[in-house]
Amino acid sequence: MQINSPQLTSGWGNNFHSLSSRAAASTVEQIQELVSTSKSVRGLLPIGLHRSYGDSALNSGGTLIDLAAFNGISIDMQSRTAVVGAGVTVAALERAALEKSLFPPVVPGTGFVTMGGAIAADIHGKSHHRTGSFSQCVRRITLMLASGGIVNLTPNDPEFWATVGGLGLTGVVIEIEIELHALQSNSVDVIEHRVKNLSEMIELLNRSDNDYEHTVAWIDLSGDYRGRGVVSLGNYGSTPVKAKESESTGPSLPSLAGKNFITPLTVSAFNEIWYRKPLKDGAVALTKYMHPLDGISHWNRIYGDTGFLQYQFVIDIGKEEIFDRLFRGLRDLKAASFLGVLKKFGNASQAPLSFPRSGWTLTLDYSMAVPGLEQFLRGFDEELVAAGGRVYLIKDSRVSPELIPLMYPQINQWRDIRRTMDPTGLWQSDQARRLHLC
Amino acid sequence: MLNGFKNPGRIALIGAKSEIGLAIVSQLPEDKSREVILVGRSGDYALDVTDRAARERVVEAIFDKGDLDLAIIAVGVLGNNPDKSDTENLVEAMGVNYLGSVHLLALIAERMKIQAHGTILVISSFAQVRPRDDNFAYGSTKAGLDFYARGLSAKLQGSGVKIKILRPGFVKSKMTAGMAIAPFSITTEECAQYGVRAISSKKVVTWAPSILKYVAMVFATMPPAIFRKISQR
Repeated sequence: MQINSPQLTSGWGNNFHSLSSRAAASTVEQIQELVSTSKSVRGLLPIGLHRSYGDSALNSGGTLIDLAAFNGISIDMQSRTAVVGAGVTVAALERAALEKSLFPPVVPGTGFVTMGGAIAADIHGKSHHRTGSFSQCVRRITLMLASGGIVNLTPNDPEFWATVGGLGLTGVVIEIEIELHALQSNSVDVIEHRVKNLSEMIELLNRSDNDYEHTVAWIDLSGDYRGRGVVSLGNYGSTPVKAKESESTGPSLPSLAGKNFITPLTVSAFNEIWYRKPLKDGAVALTKYMHPLDGISHWNRIYGDTGFLQYQFVIDIGKEEIFDRLFRGLRDLKAASFLGVLKKFGNASQAPLSFPRSGWTLTLDYSMAVPGLEQFLRGFDEELVAAGGRVYLIKDSRVSPELIPLMYPQINQWRDIRRTMDPTGLWQSDQARRLHLC
Repeated sequence: MLNGFKNPGRIALIGAKSEIGLAIVSQLPEDKSREVILVGRSGDYALDVTDRAARERVVEAIFDKGDLDLAIIAVGVLGNNPDKSDTENLVEAMGVNYLGSVHLLALIAERMKIQAHGTILVISSFAQVRPRDDNFAYGSTKAGLDFYARGLSAKLQGSGVKIKILRPGFVKSKMTAGMAIAPFSITTEECAQYGVRAISSKKVVTWAPSILKYVAMVFATMPPAIFRKISQR
């Protein structure tokens, strides 16, 4: 197995540049060899496609284990389950499952997330209010521990829940077994509604969650920051539609000479067009509906060399007044977000570091170059914590470490289990160092 | 670790009483969760810069507790104590400004190489440009430090570790109190602004103020007789 000499790697937000070696493992034995020969104090970290926005999948001075070769998919029609390798992408699993009229019950906004990454972040999708997070459909995780030993974990094991949302810090996910949803067709029946402000949006989402499997709202946080937007509601459909079959994802955004194109002006113009776009009403291909941004690869380049952050938090139902405070602050900063997303979550999983839990989740993208953004978000974090909310670690690049135990009160439980799985601290990441997670 | 805004989470100021060093630290973007380690004669990381074993021990202790994002090496003495002979003053300045600082620089760089990230800001001086009658002893110690720092900076390319050199001219501070104020003098606060800029600069050397870069060029090419005349004024 080849270990590449150190090279700079960054997350999807392009705001960190971390120097680390990379080993592409293609067999379990090769990972075991890495584990047993690793002498570096900087340790190892299993990685996927670096779609985490910040430093979750970075390990400066250490070694990243690329698991892309673990790409096997085997689907059992009888039990409607799939056994998939850690490097399988959501998009690849969807393609394989669709051939058998099945579909993963929980998929994120991009198909370019691996199964290992989906476990590490306990990802969620538009169906969270019904199905919960990714771990709710996982029956088994095959994990390599720091000892090199391999264990099969099920939801009965505390190690299963430490691995779910565990940011890759409990071991290397080798393979998982996942339940699939039976489909009548490859489509979603979608209906979209335009709403004038946040309260209309919240009201419509509250009213619709019982009737729809998939709900999400796009929110315009530019202009007057009142939170106008488009609410999208969908159910698995029965009408087959033509879907793009090829592996390609359409055009790729070229590198724009490192310039940032996201300014209040461009965002307002884009958001205006988006808000006025014709509303969908009818059957849409599942994959297109689930992954709208996958149409353009490297869309993150639009933010240029300084990069961007994605700020995602969850707040309890009944604490909606915090949105007013946030919107006012962002308006004062003239910080315009392109494609904000609001979603109502259902119940939490039992994983100590899993992000989703009952409440509202809001997701915003900002260029790192917005003046005053760092101080503003730091102040807002404190209000968020005071109101019982928390941020999503897989997207984080700037939260203060002392807020982590307040946001994730079960973190000590996670640390205790993790220590039994990795007593010498083999698994390390830049984020774990920055936030003192382990 | 740096955060996504490239602001340091853990920094060490070697020279806890350095006015320039403290001013640089206070001018970094505010972050109350940042850990600032003050290394000096007292405190958590007590250090006598002239004690070799102590230097090794303190650097070990700092890095054993976690990654260091920024180190500022701001220890220095002018070596102009009137109660001591020129030679005694020279030996003291060499011990602190050269031997102590260069050794600390090498030790910190060695540990930062393992973590594959980090920046070291070295406070050099305009005095190292060309020997002047009144401060060539001090200038020689800073010249040695500056020379080593430039060499190390080049050698560390591709390691993730960055060395930045700040070359202040005359800074009105406690260290220079009572001395005749030289042209292009700046306050400690102004000097610190250049220091903060130096940390994220793409260039290795930052002059404070910037015009000193050109003054240095003129000085370097001046015939000795003329230079001596000018510098003695």
